[in-house]
Amino acid sequence: MKERTIWEQIADSFRSRSIWMLHYCTGCGAMELPPTMTSRFDMERFGVAPMATPRQADILLITGYLNTKTLRRVIYTYEQMADPKYVIGFGSCTINGGIYFDSYSTINRLDYYVPVDVYIAGCMPRPEAILEAFNYLMEKIRKGEADGWKRYRENYEWYKQNQIRSLGEVYVHDEFHE
Amino acid sequence: MMSSMNDVVKSLEGFNPFIEEIDEREVKVTVSPDRVIAVLETLKANGYSHLSLMTCVDWIDDNQLELVYILFSWKDGGKFIVSTRIDRNNPKFFTVKELWPVARFYERELHEFFGVEFEGNDDMRPLFLELWDEKPPLRKDFDPRDYSRKKFPDRKYEKDVIKEAKIFRGEING
Repeated sequence: MKERTIWEQIADSFRSRSIWMLHYCTGCGAMELPPTMTSRFDMERFGVAPMATPRQADILLITGYLNTKTLRRVIYTYEQMADPKYVIGFGSCTINGGIYFDSYSTINRLDYYVPVDVYIAGCMPRPEAILEAFNYLMEKIRKGEADGWKRYRENYEWYKQNQIRSLGEVYVHDEFHE
Repeated sequence: MMSSMNDVVKSLEGFNPFIEEIDEREVKVTVSPDRVIAVLETLKANGYSHLSLMTCVDWIDDNQLELVYILFSWKDGGKFIVSTRIDRNNPKFFTVKELWPVARFYERELHEFFGVEFEGNDDMRPLFLELWDEKPPLRKDFDPRDYSRKKFPDRKYEKDVIKEAKIFRGEING
């Protein structure tokens, strides 16, 4: 890893204190986000707030299983996000497939398609675990270790090759919008 | 079964059905494939006008596919399950999109997941799966684990015997 300049260190320190989360949910893990957002656990005290569009968001939460159809949209979304961007893999389904390990339409590991900075284990992870993961991600950003977006840029061919192997084609064909 | 359903069952007698009472409000009617449309029309005329579900079961040992139509009545809450069995190697049936327009989508789904062809329904584009290149996935002879292994690579885990033994002895926290 390259040594960061003092300005990059300051920028990372500021970034870690206001990470905006894209409000996009893929699987059943979305169920744990309402309690995390609302008054009991209140993630906004850490500076994490939900955001509506990918272009304004810093982190992408992959909440739960991803089937091939959703993975195409996730790759679109991830590539639309502005650098620096971070990905949190949520639940055991993103780690090794979870209970969908032998499904014909569900991927088994997420870091094969988009770079993942933090994984949360569990099915389901409780809101405490999500807050723990946010804090861990903040620490990684401060130390300059959360470099998934750089890895994606450097190993773009490798990621594309994996995506095409599993999906056939990343381009989305949608009968309702064409 | 409810008395109102009894009357409907009597009107079906001409179709030579096999009647099975499942519940107070549920009756299963098994008929031969050429009579299904007539049975569905009769039931629709008798108030069972809501097509709740249309699905398929793969009986691989009998070499048959079972088509199931579930009809619901908003008058008394009764349910008729109309079932028929067709040949598995040449799965062809007739569309019911004239009776229930929503059946178009159920038929597309069955074509996608079981490979059933519906005569009269020309719109057989894939509905849920994108770029599917194998045999229909809900047939029993399709092996999802094999497909998953081929297409979606797994994470490799290495077994650390010494660490496991330490956890087992209680020396470290697992």
